[in-house]
Amino acid sequence: MASRGFSHATIERNAFLLIILAILTISIGGLVQIVPLFTIETTVEHVKGVRPYSPLEQAGRDIYVREGCYLCHSQMIRSLRDEVERYGHYSLAAESMYDHPFQWGSKRTGPDLARVGGKYSNDWHYGHLIHPQSLVPESIMPSYRFLAETPLKYDNIAEKLKTLRIVGVPYTDEEVAQAKADLEAQATPGADTDALMKRYPKANLVPGNGHEVTELDALVAYLQVLGTMVDFTDPSAENPQQ
Amino acid sequence: MDNQTANSIVGFMMVPLGLLGLLLAARAVDVEIEIFGYGLVIFAFLFGFSTIKRVYDYRDAARAIAHKEAGHG
Amino acid sequence: MANVTTGSAPVTYNEEVVRKFIIAAIFWAVVAFAVGCYLAAELTWPELNLGYSFTNFGRLRPVHTSGAIFAFGGSMLFGTSMYVVQRTCQVRLWGGSALANFIFWAFQFFIVMAALSYVLGFTEGREYAEPEWHLDLWLTMIWVLYAIVYIGTIIMRKEPHIYVANWFYLAFILTVAVLHLGNNMAVPVSFFGAKSYSLFSGTQDAMVQWWYGHNAVGFFLTAGFLGMMYYFIPKAANRPVYSYRLSIFHFWSLIFLYIWAGPHHLHYTALPDWTQILGMTFSVMLWMPSWGGMINGLMTLSGAWDKLRTDPGLRFSVTAVGFYGMSTFEGPVMAIRDVNALSHYTNWTIGHVHSGALGWVAFISFGAIYYLIPVLWKRDAMYSVKLISWHYWTATLGIVFYITSMWVAGIMEGLMWRAYDAQGFLQYSFVESVVAVHPFLMIRLFGGLFFLLGALIMVYNAYKTIRGPRSAASMLPNAALAAGE
Repeated sequence: MASRGFSHATIERNAFLLIILAILTISIGGLVQIVPLFTIETTVEHVKGVRPYSPLEQAGRDIYVREGCYLCHSQMIRSLRDEVERYGHYSLAAESMYDHPFQWGSKRTGPDLARVGGKYSNDWHYGHLIHPQSLVPESIMPSYRFLAETPLKYDNIAEKLKTLRIVGVPYTDEEVAQAKADLEAQATPGADTDALMKRYPKANLVPGNGHEVTELDALVAYLQVLGTMVDFTDPSAENPQQ
Repeated sequence: MDNQTANSIVGFMMVPLGLLGLLLAARAVDVEIEIFGYGLVIFAFLFGFSTIKRVYDYRDAARAIAHKEAGHG
Repeated sequence: MANVTTGSAPVTYNEEVVRKFIIAAIFWAVVAFAVGCYLAAELTWPELNLGYSFTNFGRLRPVHTSGAIFAFGGSMLFGTSMYVVQRTCQVRLWGGSALANFIFWAFQFFIVMAALSYVLGFTEGREYAEPEWHLDLWLTMIWVLYAIVYIGTIIMRKEPHIYVANWFYLAFILTVAVLHLGNNMAVPVSFFGAKSYSLFSGTQDAMVQWWYGHNAVGFFLTAGFLGMMYYFIPKAANRPVYSYRLSIFHFWSLIFLYIWAGPHHLHYTALPDWTQILGMTFSVMLWMPSWGGMINGLMTLSGAWDKLRTDPGLRFSVTAVGFYGMSTFEGPVMAIRDVNALSHYTNWTIGHVHSGALGWVAFISFGAIYYLIPVLWKRDAMYSVKLISWHYWTATLGIVFYITSMWVAGIMEGLMWRAYDAQGFLQYSFVESVVAVHPFLMIRLFGGLFFLLGALIMVYNAYKTIRGPRSAASMLPNAALAAGE
């Protein structure tokens, strides 16, 4: 090898050369695959109906992440015939464009949840999360009764929305200012929800327990909005918008 | 770098680390940062003192070896 | 053993930190395997979730994965890399014993804090990168110090060439640094609160996460442990590495190709097709360097195969290379889109991960542990060779139960989810597939318990060895300095 001018021994004898060449070698793949996803506009095509989460939904999403739901439930319907028939229209990139972090998941110990919103009633979700086996006897899902017994902490919900704005979710100043009021309105029966529904169309009103907002209320509100933002019966929904 | 210099640098780094822990624990807005803050304080305290102990243990060992060799000579 | 004469002055290696990491690795191995068994039981009998937030599967699962990968695997990598770099460079670890000692305790502190934060419900929600931002920063500090110590030692080396094991350890250290920083970009809600939101979202976030996730496998669990293979197998077999050229090919092609493989975790998803195809193509190509490495490891034993009969520690290392070959064949197959359509989201993936984690990572580690304990504690040999053999067979049986049950369960799930009846409707509801895999989840638990039992045998054997008498050679006067370090 040495006779051909270049020898690997040159690299083996020079630690800096080895380090620099190794870093170059491992950089190429990541750069080619990741950078274009931020620059090619067709990666996430805009779709009518997709909106940022309401404050209560976002709070519920934080609980979904906290409890590690993504370890057993995916939120990504693949473009395969049986999946589309079982779970609904395959997932579009735009549907998770406000998901920080993404929760596509990698394992289905339980079913996919990308379009679970509206599939069952609020009552079903409350009953199922508190005691899954009461509604699905064969289920191996743990009980989440403790969520119903824990009041939701939402003092910092405006701060959370502001942080999400930093990472790219287009919350307006008004939405940040009204975050606490919107959150309470979504979980209080009989509350005035006109402003809430205008800001967050299709938000699901949860009944709550009458005296405080619980973590379970937030989680149900989140689950009920999953996959419902895009109206697939509207033929113009999937056309790229300006 | 010889052992004593390294011990001193690493040992003294425990002071800002412990102070950072106190700051985090004092101003924490959730239980996680509070635990982490107190954890840092305990870590810095234990590690700092164990480093002092190491310095003296090392000196004692060196002295014992020197003594032994002098005895042989 | 710790004194090697190079030229005139004897070099005293820092073995204290290696001993600590080996003890920590054994401890965390038992913890990680035990938590894994408990999780397997939770999936079989959901009542075991106990109804508490902190005992639920969703919060305990990262304790198992981080425990196995970072606590056990990480301690092994820190320990063996610090051992190998000193021996092959013929110099003491750079930075003094205090810095190495700090790295050890800071890393153990990280593990305990991370485990605690998981059960308390603080997570970034990214698989294998769950710790929140403050712990990520702490780990970054440790990693920078580790890289400085490791590279510093290489630069101070007395050998002109950098030995092949160090290439792999170096690639592991550098790449994990890049991956860790890239995947944990997040903005905290408050400087005094743990909650943060990731900088990226949706599709881009998925790509970044699996670029990280698959290369945690590629560089943490493969490149690092290949460093172990390239040092401990030649050492235990007392043979040189089979082919120097194959080592060069193995190294550069492996680190070049691995980094592309991430998108095979995202087939048929909303990730653009071109990225998926690239991921699949490179995953299939990865088969070649992987098997090149396997051949290099196995053929190192040519002429020394008889040692497998007498040295069960070496048997662990060699079986590990066999499992490495099997996993790195299974992996590319599963990365093919049509196979992935069936295997993704099922227990087959869990089985695949464990054939790599138990068969490759844990076995190559056990081999290194059985080699290192007598060396580090200056004993003639392990307390009982027979017990190593017992460990070997219990663990192997455990793996066989584990991966075969997961194959059956995974393929069955995949087939049930896509089955149609005569009328053209989906034949099974989801929960029917949950019921169908139940017996196989029990067999998996059984396999896991066997593997845990094997680890406990190792703990006993290690304990008896370390408590036993020192070797006669280490009692010689020139060993006194090393003992006093």
